[in-house]
Amino acid sequence: MEAASLIIVLVIVLALFFDFTNGFHDTANAMATPIATGALKPKVAVLLAAGLNLVGAFLSTEVAKTISGGIIREDQIDSAIFPSIIFAGLIGAITWNMLTWLLGLPSSSSHALFGGLIGATLVGVGVAAVDFSVVMSKVILPAIIAPLTAGIIAYTATKIAYAMTRRYDSRPDGRDGFRVGQIFTSSLVALAHGTNDAQKTMGVITLLLITSGFQSASDPDPQTWVVFACAITIALGTYMGGWRIIRTLGKGLTDVKPAQGFSAESSTASTILASSALGFALSTTQVASGSVIGSGLGRRGSTVRWRTVGRIMVGWLLTLPASGAVGAAAAFMVVWFGNWGVLIDAILAALIILGIFLRSRRDAVTAANAMSEVADSGRAVKVKRNPPPTRRQRAIDREQARLRAEREAQGIAERKAAERKAADERAAIAARTKQAAKDNARAEAAKKKGPGSR
Amino acid sequence: MTLTIDWFAFVQVFVASMIGAVLVVGFYSAGLRLLVRAGRAPVVSPAEFTDAITVITEKDAARASKAAAKAAKKSPLSDGQKTFALGAAYLSFGLAGLAVVGGLLLILFNH
Repeated sequence: MEAASLIIVLVIVLALFFDFTNGFHDTANAMATPIATGALKPKVAVLLAAGLNLVGAFLSTEVAKTISGGIIREDQIDSAIFPSIIFAGLIGAITWNMLTWLLGLPSSSSHALFGGLIGATLVGVGVAAVDFSVVMSKVILPAIIAPLTAGIIAYTATKIAYAMTRRYDSRPDGRDGFRVGQIFTSSLVALAHGTNDAQKTMGVITLLLITSGFQSASDPDPQTWVVFACAITIALGTYMGGWRIIRTLGKGLTDVKPAQGFSAESSTASTILASSALGFALSTTQVASGSVIGSGLGRRGSTVRWRTVGRIMVGWLLTLPASGAVGAAAAFMVVWFGNWGVLIDAILAALIILGIFLRSRRDAVTAANAMSEVADSGRAVKVKRNPPPTRRQRAIDREQARLRAEREAQGIAERKAAERKAADERAAIAARTKQAAKDNARAEAAKKKGPGSR
Repeated sequence: MTLTIDWFAFVQVFVASMIGAVLVVGFYSAGLRLLVRAGRAPVVSPAEFTDAITVITEKDAARASKAAAKAAKKSPLSDGQKTFALGAAYLSFGLAGLAVVGGLLLILFNH
């Protein structure tokens, strides 16, 4: 086999490995909330997520087309060097992903992929090979707008869910039913994850096939075998990643109520699905985090812990340039040493990944290094244990206070009237007694005078 | 170098996502509310497994079931009204499901 063909095969394998780590990394995002609220058993949740990721990967290919036919300008690229550049980009993405996973830093697999790819292309080919309009409109702006959109929608949905099920008579409100609903909404999140994240790898492999002449540039749709390979790999990664949830759950999402989780997941799924249909390559982690924060704020008496939000934001902002820098460094090797550079990259990356993996095995799995970033976002909102009353509750309280006051006033008036009546009766009795005494005295006097006077 | 950004696409995503989420959450919540009206307040205990948070204990669940049954007995609705509320609750759940299926079909047809 020629060196060029070998590199193409190597890149496809590496891309599928990235797909696998993506599924592995993001299972918690889809299934953390229903497991935390007790809606699903972890093993069932993970199996469901894997199956739906597989189905989701077949739903749409718009995101794949954004990557294969948008971000990188194929006409500006020398087909001989580009497979090596994609290889360097993938090395950057995987290394950054593993590093953030080890350190427990909030990150995004998707942005690591874009960062690595763009960084490697800038160094390996030049500025002209990157279409910054597409990068801005399909990657950077959605990265800022999508979590905000998801947050606003989750806030509104949470308000609706609580308002529609609120009761003022202390009888059962039926909110337990949201726990059953979460089985469906979390399944939708897994499906949405499949439609967006699996397609990123499809896009990278298709881009590779286009630039190396195996596919026409006029048809950026991924080939069927690419769709199948990516769908199966992400599903497998999702299933394999489940053990982390089983081991670490219960430490992350401590205060997500079923109604809140249901609203957050509905918002996450709808935002990702709508974005996927328009070809926006989103970070599902960031969207899910935005939803969790928004739904937390939708509960009464909640406040934002800005320090936690800031830490999450910094992690997000760092991902693109940091993975870009690693991708660029890997691309330098390719530019300087050619095929030997690819080999050096592969060895260095394998050593780094192996080192990170062994290092991670030494530490116990805790919420800090294994729980999903979405769970971390749950801590960004502080919810009071006894939330302040709603406007209607305040109105009811005011009405009750008014009735109490009225009753008291009526009681006082009645008491006064009774007192007056009692006083009158006493006065009447006294008058009658006095009159009787007078009558008696008069009768006595008449008796004494009686016989003599006659 | 000029950047061309399709801002309308962001508005489309926002509006479509908002409509989708509000329909699903709204219909589902209405369904739960009607289920309570029909005297069938759902009491769902969390699945049991090690390490997970116990949202409500068995004792809590039993107490909640008892309270739900007591509240159902005290319901001022007639049997006919309760049946109507139950039917409306299932219709609401069905509409929530329909909103999801509709959204997915829209994506499939757009593709």
